[in-house]
Amino acid sequence: MNEILEKLLQSPRLWRGCGPAASTGWQGLRSGYPRLDRHLPGGGWPPHALTEILLEHYGTGELKLLMPALAGLSQTAGEDPAQAVGWIAWIAPPFEPYAPALLQWGMNLSRVLIVRPKRAAEALWAAEQALSSGNCAAVLVWSERMDDVASRRLQLAAENGRSWAIAFRPVRDLSCSSAAALRIRVSTGDKGTDLCILKSRGGRPAVIRDYASAPEQ
Amino acid sequence: MLPPGKSPATAREASPTPSLTKRKKFRPAGDTAQQSLSLQAPAAVRNDLAQATSAHRLWLCVHLPSLPLEAVMGTGSDGVCAVTEDQQGLQRVLLASTEAAAAGISCGMSVNAVLALLPSLCLEERNPAREEEVLKALAARAERFTSFVSVEMPAALLLEIAGSLRLFGGLDALRRTISDDLQQQGFTASLAIAPTPLAATWLARAGKRVCIRDRKNLAGALSRLPLGCLDWPAAITGSLQGMGIAVVGDCLRLPREGFVRRFGAGSLLQLDRALGRLPDPRKCYRTAEVFCQEYELTEEQSDSELLLNACRSLLLELERFLLKRQLMVQRVRFSFFHLQQPATHLTVGCAQADRSIEHWCELLAIRFDRLELPAAVIAIRLQGGRGQPLSTSTGRLAFNRDGNRRQEPLMSHLVERLSARIGDVSVHGIMAVAEHRPQYAWRAAKLFEQPPQCQAVPRFPQEPCATPLLAELRRNSSLLLRRPLWMLPEPRPLDTGKGLPLYQGPLKLLDGPERLETGWWDEDGIARDYFVAVNPAGMHLWIFRNRDRESGWYLHGMFG
Repeated sequence: MNEILEKLLQSPRLWRGCGPAASTGWQGLRSGYPRLDRHLPGGGWPPHALTEILLEHYGTGELKLLMPALAGLSQTAGEDPAQAVGWIAWIAPPFEPYAPALLQWGMNLSRVLIVRPKRAAEALWAAEQALSSGNCAAVLVWSERMDDVASRRLQLAAENGRSWAIAFRPVRDLSCSSAAALRIRVSTGDKGTDLCILKSRGGRPAVIRDYASAPEQ
Repeated sequence: MLPPGKSPATAREASPTPSLTKRKKFRPAGDTAQQSLSLQAPAAVRNDLAQATSAHRLWLCVHLPSLPLEAVMGTGSDGVCAVTEDQQGLQRVLLASTEAAAAGISCGMSVNAVLALLPSLCLEERNPAREEEVLKALAARAERFTSFVSVEMPAALLLEIAGSLRLFGGLDALRRTISDDLQQQGFTASLAIAPTPLAATWLARAGKRVCIRDRKNLAGALSRLPLGCLDWPAAITGSLQGMGIAVVGDCLRLPREGFVRRFGAGSLLQLDRALGRLPDPRKCYRTAEVFCQEYELTEEQSDSELLLNACRSLLLELERFLLKRQLMVQRVRFSFFHLQQPATHLTVGCAQADRSIEHWCELLAIRFDRLELPAAVIAIRLQGGRGQPLSTSTGRLAFNRDGNRRQEPLMSHLVERLSARIGDVSVHGIMAVAEHRPQYAWRAAKLFEQPPQCQAVPRFPQEPCATPLLAELRRNSSLLLRRPLWMLPEPRPLDTGKGLPLYQGPLKLLDGPERLETGWWDEDGIARDYFVAVNPAGMHLWIFRNRDRESGWYLHGMFG
C-alpha cells in the first residue's frame, strides 16, 4: 500500500498544494540563481522540455537569467568540435550575441551555433530540427509568431531529442495556451528583475522579486 | 646495318631485286637455317633492354568488333539495324546486326541495295566521337582491374594485368571477371592475353581467345594470324598478299633489310614490338579526377519525383567514382538543361565532406523542394567538386560490448540540413577576436573549425571554489570591463533630451566612461567613450558618444 502511495507521490503529474517543489523525481538544470531554483521543481530548469520566457522587450535581462545554465551546458562538451553533443543553438536572435560577453559568462564558443532564418516559419522548423537532432543541449528560439501547435511541437521535439528548448515570446502571448513545461514572465523594474512563474509542470506559480539578489537566510 | 650473324650472301640476295625473284627465293621453305638467320636476328643490343622492360608484363586486350554499331544503337539493342560509313563518296554498310546479317545484309553493300533488300532496316551513320566516348567510359570502368589502361583508338583497350593477378585470384578468374563485366554491359568483345601489347591486340583482333604467358610462345601463336588483323595500310597488305604472304609467320621469314626497304621501317618495328624484341611503351589512360556526368532524359520532364530519381542515379555514379579513388567531395553542382531556357544550376554543399549517397539525396530533396525550374528539363549534369582524401571512422562491431549503444548523430548533418534550407551564410558559429574595438571583437566563424584561443577577454574562473569570487565579480562590475550580451549590428543614434540620451525614457549613466580609441591601421578608427546606462524600465544599455562630443549618443548594445 505504501509502495503504491510512494509511486503516486513521485509522479510529476500529481500536484500537491503544499510541500517542497523539489520533491519531483527528476533533477533540474541548476539555474545559477538559488532563489529561482528554490521555486522550480527538481531544483532547476526542466531538462528535455520547453521553457517559455515572456518579455516586453528583448534585452531586458532574459539572457542574464539563462547564461549560467547555458554556459554550464556548453562547458560539459569539451573542446573537440567533432564531438557531437553540447551545442547551444541560437535561432533567429534579435541582435548579435556578443562573443566577448559570452566568454565572460563562461560560454564555450566552439559550441555555439547561430541560425538566422529569413522567415518565421523557418525559425520554428530550424528549432524543431535542432531539438530532435540530439546534438544540441539547448535551443534558443526567438519567434514573434508562435501558437499552441508550435509550442506543442517544440515540446515534443525537446522530449525526443532530450534537449532543452527555450522560446522567447512577447508578453501579449500571455493569455495564449501553451504546451511548455515552464512559463516565466521576465519584467525589469527599478529594483532589479522580477520573475513571474506562470506555469510550472510539477511546481506552482510564484513571483520572485529581484531574483538575482542573494537569498535571504 | 646488318644483323649479326647474317651472311653476306643473304644480304646480296636481299638487295633490290624484282619482287618475283624475291618471292621465288622465299616461297620454298627449303633452307630454314638461312631464313631463320634473317628473321630471328634481332637488334641484340636492345634485346636486354626490351626484356628488362617487358619481362613481367602481361597485356590483356579487349577488342570490340561491333563498337560502331553498339556506340550508335546502344548496347543490348536488338532488331535489324546497321551502321553506314562514307566510302569514296558512297554510303556503304560498315556493320550490320546479327538479325540484319541473317536477312542478307553484309558489309560493303550500298545503302540503296540494302534498303531494297530490307525496307524496315534501321540505318545509322557511324559516329566516331561517340565511339571514343564509349571506349573511354569502358576504360574508366576497367580502371578497377588494373592501374594501367591504354585506349587503342579504333576499338580496343589494353589492360596491363600482371600486377592484378593475385588480387583477382589468378589469370582465369580475372579474365572471367572482365569478360563478365563486358557481357553484362552488353558489349561483344574478344579478349586475348599476351606478354606484348601489340601481340595481344592482334590476337584479340583475330578473335583468338588465347592466353600466352611466355614470350617464347609468342612467335608460334602470331605466325598463324592472317595479315588482316595487323591493321596495316591496304597497300602493304595488298602487296604482301601479292607476294603470297598470307599470315604473320610468312612475314617473319622475310629478310629484315628487304622488308624495311619495301614496306618501311614502321612495319618492321611493329613486328619487333609484337615479338617483344623492342620495347613498346603505351600511354596510360587516366580518367578525369573531377566527376562530371550527364543524364539525358528521353523527353522533357518536369515531374520532380522523376527528376530526383535521375539525380539519384547520377549520385550513385558519383559515389562509385569517389569510392574508386578513396575521395570525398564537399560540394556538388547539378545543372538542369531546358530546351528553350538557359540552364538552371543548383549547388549542394556539405559542412563536412561526405560521399554517402543517402546523405546527398536528403540534402538534394530539401533544396529541390524550393527550386523553381523555369521549364521542363531535358538533361541533367552532375559535377563533383574538388575531391578530398577520404577520412572515416571505424564502425562498431555488432558483438562489441558497446555495440548496442545508440550511434550519435553527426552535428554536421544537422548543420547541412539547416544550411540547405536556410542558406550557407545564415548558419554559422561565432568567435572572439583579440581586438579592442567592440565591433571587431567578434566575428562569425565557420563551424567545425577550432577557433584560435582568445586570451584578451578575462574569463570568470570556472572552479567551484571560486564561486564567491564569481559572485563578487558579477556584482561589482567595476572589477571587470562589462560587455553586453546583445550587440546591435550597427550603433543606433539616440535622441537626447535635456542633455541626456533617451531610450524609452531618459537614461541614467551607471558606469563609465570607458574610452576606446584608434584603429588607424585599417582606416576605421574610433574615439568613443562608452557608458553603462539604465533606462526607466530597468534595461541596462551600453551607449557611447564620440570623443568630440558633437555627434550625440549612440546605443551599441544591451546587457540582456
